[in-house]
Amino acid sequence: MSSKGTTHRLLAMPGGVVRGLFAQVGAIAWLLSACLRGLGRLRRERLKVVLEVTRTQIRFTALDALPLCTLAALLIGGITLLQVFGQLSSLGVENYICQILAKLVIRELGPLLVGIVVISRSGTAIATEMASRQLTGEIDALYLNGVDPVQYLLVPRLLGGIISVFALIIYFDTVALLGGFMLAWLRLPLSLAAFLDALVQAIGPRELMATFFKALVFGAIIPLLCTSYGLRVRQSTTEIPQAVTKAAVGSLAILLLAGAFLSVLIYA
Amino acid sequence: MPEPLLALEGVTLTAPDGRLVFEGLDFQLARGARFHLEGGLGTGATALLRLCAGLAAPDRGRVVLDGKVLDLDALDHPFLHAGALGWVPTDGGLAVNLTLLDNVALPLRFALNLSRGEAADQAHRWLDEVGLGRVADQRPRVPADRVSWLASLARAGAKGSRLWLVDRPAGGLDAASIKAARDILGQAAQDPDVTMVTVGDAWMAALGDALKIEDGRLSAGSPK
Repeated sequence: MSSKGTTHRLLAMPGGVVRGLFAQVGAIAWLLSACLRGLGRLRRERLKVVLEVTRTQIRFTALDALPLCTLAALLIGGITLLQVFGQLSSLGVENYICQILAKLVIRELGPLLVGIVVISRSGTAIATEMASRQLTGEIDALYLNGVDPVQYLLVPRLLGGIISVFALIIYFDTVALLGGFMLAWLRLPLSLAAFLDALVQAIGPRELMATFFKALVFGAIIPLLCTSYGLRVRQSTTEIPQAVTKAAVGSLAILLLAGAFLSVLIYA
Repeated sequence: MPEPLLALEGVTLTAPDGRLVFEGLDFQLARGARFHLEGGLGTGATALLRLCAGLAAPDRGRVVLDGKVLDLDALDHPFLHAGALGWVPTDGGLAVNLTLLDNVALPLRFALNLSRGEAADQAHRWLDEVGLGRVADQRPRVPADRVSWLASLARAGAKGSRLWLVDRPAGGLDAASIKAARDILGQAAQDPDVTMVTVGDAWMAALGDALKIEDGRLSAGSPK
């Protein structure tokens, strides 16, 4: 292998990453526009069917994820508090711990951790389901029988994703802050009233905006991108695990970038 | 001259293994026409049916259904949105996560705007017709068997399909299932507005004029 060839490949790598990123964004935009058009055409009984499927999606994505979210939130809230408390104590400003915890959890950790939970549980499930349906011809068969696959398969996953991520972020933040408070309460002379008071001070319009926009963006990106990867399967069942892995990794990368972008946009 | 319901215009189709299945094929299906495609596996009959349904994309030429070019990726064909196509493939083409009842009822709600209760009643009635009433709450088996094909037939009937494209059933049918399927197809064929193409099993031969495929060309088949 020549060193010239290796250099070329190394130089081409960033270009490939950027191309891949634009391809993902393009796929998300195309599916989103298809969803919005499908949503606009929903009438009467179709709307009821779509709402029924959306409800099922919310059950799988949000309700069934509660145990894992509870565990993650309690541990993250507690561990973050322990880490931050040590640093603040050394500076003698441990009274700020509630505000710092609230800002950290609400602004960054809550949305990010919920996004990771949703990718690992529902994103991979969506990619697998879509890949299987694509491979067995179910999606074409649905359409041939008068069932619009965008309305029946995609719209409920998009709506369910957004609603679920929003609800999970609120839940995660609440549990993480309560978990943090319980730990803080063991080590600090802190009352619940003082904690809540500090919390109210820490939560401003920007925190609410961050929660709302991150829920909207993460909730849309995960199902759309995972669907896009699932639908790329064409010939063999061996493509399914590859598609699922790519869906998880791609979603995580886009989620991290989108999260960072939104944080800079809102807080910078 | 009335416009055909379905037209294949200069269609060339290559199989995934590179074999030429059809070259420059022209085929018109007049409204109310009924054909039975003869020939066993590998003759191209299923490929022709898939072309008619838009599932096989031709290398050249086009497929026109009810006056509009058939392109499944565009998701904008009014004939399909109306649920007017009765697609009955060998494997049934059912959603494996839905029960047989829901598979039949879903298009009734989606395409025909029937309420949940009405769609379930109608679906149950049609599943009874094909002898699947007792297993309506079961999901289709994988790989597909005769049950999936029969449920697919029930779905096509329940929708009041105007164009039936029926491939041979998976795994063969018992005598009672053949009778039920023949009754449903025969009943549909009595409607002058219904157009039908069937493939495969001998018991379907009486449902339409025989056509055979030889070397990628269509010709009249053996008389009934």
